[in-house]
Amino acid sequence: MTRATFPGGVHPPENKWTADAEIRTLPVPPSLVVPMAQNLGAPAVPAVEKGQAVARGEAIGKPDGFISAAVHAPSSGTVTAIRQVVDAATGRTTAAVVIETDGRDRWLDSLPAEPRDPDALDPDAIRRAVADAGVVGMGGATFPTHVKLAPPEGKPIDTVLVNGAECEPYLTCDYRVMLDRAERIVTGLRLCMRATGAGRGLVGIEDNKPRAVEALRRAVAGAEDLAVRVFRTKYPQGAEKQLILACLGREVPTGGLPADVGVVVQNVQTACAIAEACVDGRPVTERVLTVSGDAARAPGNFRVRIGTPLAALLAEARVDQRYEELILGGPMMGKDQFTADLSVTKGTSGLLVFRKAAVYEHGPCIRCGACVRHCPSYLNPSRLSILGESFLAGNLDAIDTAIEFGLMDCILCGTCAYVCPSRRRMVHLIEMLRGERRKALQRRREKQQAQAAGIRRQVEKVAD
Amino acid sequence: MTTTDATQSAPSPPPPAPPAPAADAPRLVVAHWPHLRAKDSTARIMWSVAIALVPAAVFSGYVFGWRAYLHIGLAVATAVGLEALITYLRPSRPIPSAVPATWWRRTGLTVGDGSAVVTGILVAFCLPAQVRWFVPVVAAAVAIGIAKQAFGGLGCNIWNPALVGRAFVHVSFPTDMNPASYPVLTGDHFIGNVGTAVWSGGGGADAVSAASPGVHAISGASPLVHLKQYAMNGVWHDLSAQEFHRRLPDLWRMFLGTIGGDLGETSALLLLVGAACLIYKGWIRWQVPLAYLGTVALGALVLPIAIQAGGPEPVLRPILLGNPAVAPVFVAYHLLAGGVMLGALFMATDMVTSPLTSKGLWIFGAGCGLLTILFRFYSHAYPEGVCYSILLMNTAAPLIDRWTQPRIFGHTR
Repeated sequence: MTRATFPGGVHPPENKWTADAEIRTLPVPPSLVVPMAQNLGAPAVPAVEKGQAVARGEAIGKPDGFISAAVHAPSSGTVTAIRQVVDAATGRTTAAVVIETDGRDRWLDSLPAEPRDPDALDPDAIRRAVADAGVVGMGGATFPTHVKLAPPEGKPIDTVLVNGAECEPYLTCDYRVMLDRAERIVTGLRLCMRATGAGRGLVGIEDNKPRAVEALRRAVAGAEDLAVRVFRTKYPQGAEKQLILACLGREVPTGGLPADVGVVVQNVQTACAIAEACVDGRPVTERVLTVSGDAARAPGNFRVRIGTPLAALLAEARVDQRYEELILGGPMMGKDQFTADLSVTKGTSGLLVFRKAAVYEHGPCIRCGACVRHCPSYLNPSRLSILGESFLAGNLDAIDTAIEFGLMDCILCGTCAYVCPSRRRMVHLIEMLRGERRKALQRRREKQQAQAAGIRRQVEKVAD
Repeated sequence: MTTTDATQSAPSPPPPAPPAPAADAPRLVVAHWPHLRAKDSTARIMWSVAIALVPAAVFSGYVFGWRAYLHIGLAVATAVGLEALITYLRPSRPIPSAVPATWWRRTGLTVGDGSAVVTGILVAFCLPAQVRWFVPVVAAAVAIGIAKQAFGGLGCNIWNPALVGRAFVHVSFPTDMNPASYPVLTGDHFIGNVGTAVWSGGGGADAVSAASPGVHAISGASPLVHLKQYAMNGVWHDLSAQEFHRRLPDLWRMFLGTIGGDLGETSALLLLVGAACLIYKGWIRWQVPLAYLGTVALGALVLPIAIQAGGPEPVLRPILLGNPAVAPVFVAYHLLAGGVMLGALFMATDMVTSPLTSKGLWIFGAGCGLLTILFRFYSHAYPEGVCYSILLMNTAAPLIDRWTQPRIFGHTR
């Protein structure tokens, strides 16, 4: 078994305690809080009113533009409120539709009763079905999938890659989905290939999941255009660019997309959602996620409705109340939350609760070079972090220097901070610099607009 | 099925109100990702380096007597004391009480991270045993006060602090530091500065052995002085390997370290053992010693030295051509004599003052090696060049880093 990989990266303790836990289906909670911001890009716009009855699969949020995704009622019931809730991804607020479930879990009548033949769908029909179903990247990036399936002109796609790497420690939901739904994943892969015109489909899995490799190998057996690739277990193997490099030896150019090298990447759960959207016509109303961490006495993998309050999950995993840290996502790139008053979204791959928060003192860079050796983007994180501190100390030119050093090429995977013996806040400082750059560009634009307006006024005055 | 027009139903969002936390809700700590960190820490690395130096430090007392421990103790005490004083006077960044921190981080007295101890040991290691007691004190004070803290403390210094300390006392106390007067030693104690006499007597160590019958295992002056004299006087034509061994301590003793020299540089064996552990842990980067020692060996082979080629005057010729039979022994002596082992394994590998990239480390190590062998062959004033070679390459490290920035992912150079 040749094991492909990428340069750099680390191998943190895996702690995949829930790998052998069958997926448990969480009962539909009495109340669902469905945020409208569940995708990268513009949040959906609420399309229901307070007091309105909704069926499972009914659109309750309409996409706002092309890079946006619809949101559907995860179960049947009544809309009791549309209120502002905390958006777990950004910490800001977003609108959410609150649904009091009626316990009947009735699907929308207009959904097709019979499964459709996936081979009979043309690319446009697939894209339409995916967009209507509100499918987004379920690995955590939440990029609207129909956009990915519409490759830009002049960029032919030759390969669709299904990402089953699941390189984050603790998380096992993708693994369990690969064991349970290998056929579905392959159907989704086939649909992606048809939509993009790709001639080859690959599934990439890390070598710490031999049973998933076996399951997918069985599912693709006999198909000449499909294959399973096995990777060395290493973080961040699941990062899109690293996956493409390890699988195909192609490097996504700076500022580019996988489409620039003829590839489309989909997470395994996204592939399942695509299959469900196209074959059954069912929108995304649930997902599988892992609840783990040392504060969870019954950690496990759960199939939950979108909009399920975290409290229901915490109770089901018997999380004791003395936890200090709550992470949505994995421990490497997941985000710490300041409140547990949140709900599951399409991008929630994990819910980790720890008794003791992982907070570290940070010291000066001792130039050990560990970050440079391990960076999967071949950056100099030491330099970027020092530039970040320099910016905070008042050196505003540090942003420009940091851009020369690849500020915008960082994938924020946190490998540098993981290996740093001084526990430096690399990702934090890099994100800060990027935010400051955004603000600076915004200011410059406003200034230019003001100047242009001023000149126009002058010209008009002279003309008068 | 019910459908509603989005434009009608969407109410204008009320102003965001922070959710009121339940009374029994846990207090959550929010930090930036990654939430996992590897175990290695700065203190762990520095203390490990200090421990890796302990065998050589203990052995220095065996070779040079109690003065070795006195010097190491004085240098470490000065380094730690001065660093504590300076960091006490300097305002430190307050650490929030929620963040777990060691006492030395919280107080700002950075001595707990072990780097001052390492500097103290290394300062003493590159001083000979016969120096007066205040020399290690001055060297350590310069190392910590000027080379390290004046530049901003750990991570900010340009030059290896220990070597700056040594360079300072080398120009300030030249007689103490004169390698020609390095001690001649017995197996367990130091009997006097007779290095020059040994050489001028012509018989090397054997002459002293013969003259002092009670003395066993005499080691002679720093073998480097002899190597230098041979090279400059051009007597290679008739030198066999046996002749080499007669004039210099044999290679086995050079490797074990029962020879003259600076406190910590004599035992290649113990330095290699300590460094091997650190290389295994990834805390010193193997590229540097390999490039350093490789370049020294290569340079010793191919750079021309004075060789008696039959005529009245010696001619400049590489040993590989002039006397190939002796070449391997000659190279071995150059690798084991003087401070090359200590420099290549523990001085040049100092993380702070060496480049970040692996390509840069190769260039850095090779540069140190080249400068060292150039000093050894062609400098008339000074037989050893390890200290200044590394200091010069420290100066070049930022430049090397700039040249060897890796190609960023997705960029075409």
